[in-house]
Amino acid sequence: MAERAGHRGYIGARPLNGSRTPQHVQNIVIRDYARRKNLQYLLSAVEHIMPGSYMVLEDIVDELPRLNGLILYSIFMLPPDEARRREIYDRVLREGCDLHAAVEEIALSSRNDIQAVEDILLVNKFATIL
Amino acid sequence: MIDTDFLQADEQALAQRFIDDGFVTTPADDRAGLDRIQRRAAELAADYLKLPHSNDPYAMLDTIHTRVSVDDLNGLRLHVFNGLNAEPWFRPTYFRLARSTIETIVGNELCMQRRVNLSIQMPGDDSSLLATHSDVWSGDSPFEVVVWVPLVDVHRTKAMYLLPPSLNGDMQDRMASLRSAEQLYKTIQPHATFIEIPYGHVMLFNQTLMHGNRVNEETGTRWSMNCRFKSIMSPYADKRFGEFFEPILLRPATRVGMQYKLPGGFHG
Repeated sequence: MAERAGHRGYIGARPLNGSRTPQHVQNIVIRDYARRKNLQYLLSAVEHIMPGSYMVLEDIVDELPRLNGLILYSIFMLPPDEARRREIYDRVLREGCDLHAAVEEIALSSRNDIQAVEDILLVNKFATIL
Repeated sequence: MIDTDFLQADEQALAQRFIDDGFVTTPADDRAGLDRIQRRAAELAADYLKLPHSNDPYAMLDTIHTRVSVDDLNGLRLHVFNGLNAEPWFRPTYFRLARSTIETIVGNELCMQRRVNLSIQMPGDDSSLLATHSDVWSGDSPFEVVVWVPLVDVHRTKAMYLLPPSLNGDMQDRMASLRSAEQLYKTIQPHATFIEIPYGHVMLFNQTLMHGNRVNEETGTRWSMNCRFKSIMSPYADKRFGEFFEPILLRPATRVGMQYKLPGGFHG
């Protein structure tokens, strides 16, 4: 197997939970996370601004055989559809990779980690933030 | 046809080419400035690689793949990128390379991206490709244009590709049914044009059109810079004024208008 390259960053142009973070700030957060976790950061890909588009995330998932994993700016950048998220977790783990979310400092590296991530996403979906 | 009698004939022709083709290429307005940028980029690359400065900056850049590994490429790129952007003369010079074209296509009250980007595409390297995209999809305003400047001759896969305006809308309409940007490329591939630009020329293109690059299968390394310009009063998207763009040309009438206050104190 060819040597794997590192962790691909993943940022976006859509607001998250009603807030907007400039793209260069998202990159700073990811780069700092990678440095603290001793991960080799690879230049981030930027998801499309169109609501519901995850084409860029799909490209990164296709790239996983050549990566150690990916670092999302936030766990809330994952698709809202649970089945689609679980496909992503499956492919990440099947390729021997891991998935990180820099803002929340979450790492998903085994099946045991999936429920913790899903709990955060589901609670966020239903809970009210004042 | 551009419906105006207020432009010179050459400006009308340029504007029409931009509308029809989605890009225009022209000789650099400031060739000495372009040579200065090329020379400084080669010096910075030599510094990073601990080599003496070359008397032939073109050859130094075009053959850089014989001196640097893919693993070290981003380190080299960042060194040259930071070094160029730190030069106080760099951004004004970059603007002067295409000033007449920018003013014809965009206007003469302008803002400019704060940092000019640099791409290095070595032959056979797939580590830093840009998938098919429109800049607007990642948060740029459709009112922006890109000034794209190669530091070496570019042609075929050493260049970037662009989808013509006549096809862009149809392809965008089909996009939501595709899974990934790679699938999108395969869909547009028969219609995408790799743009040939000799060193000494610059390109200004419509970044709402799909574009990107593929693995460079030519013999030399591509060095190119890109920077966005827009009319200062036109709408912004996620790339905001102040954080991504800064004003470079603001005319006195606009300054007066922004500071003007109507007389107050009426109690009718």
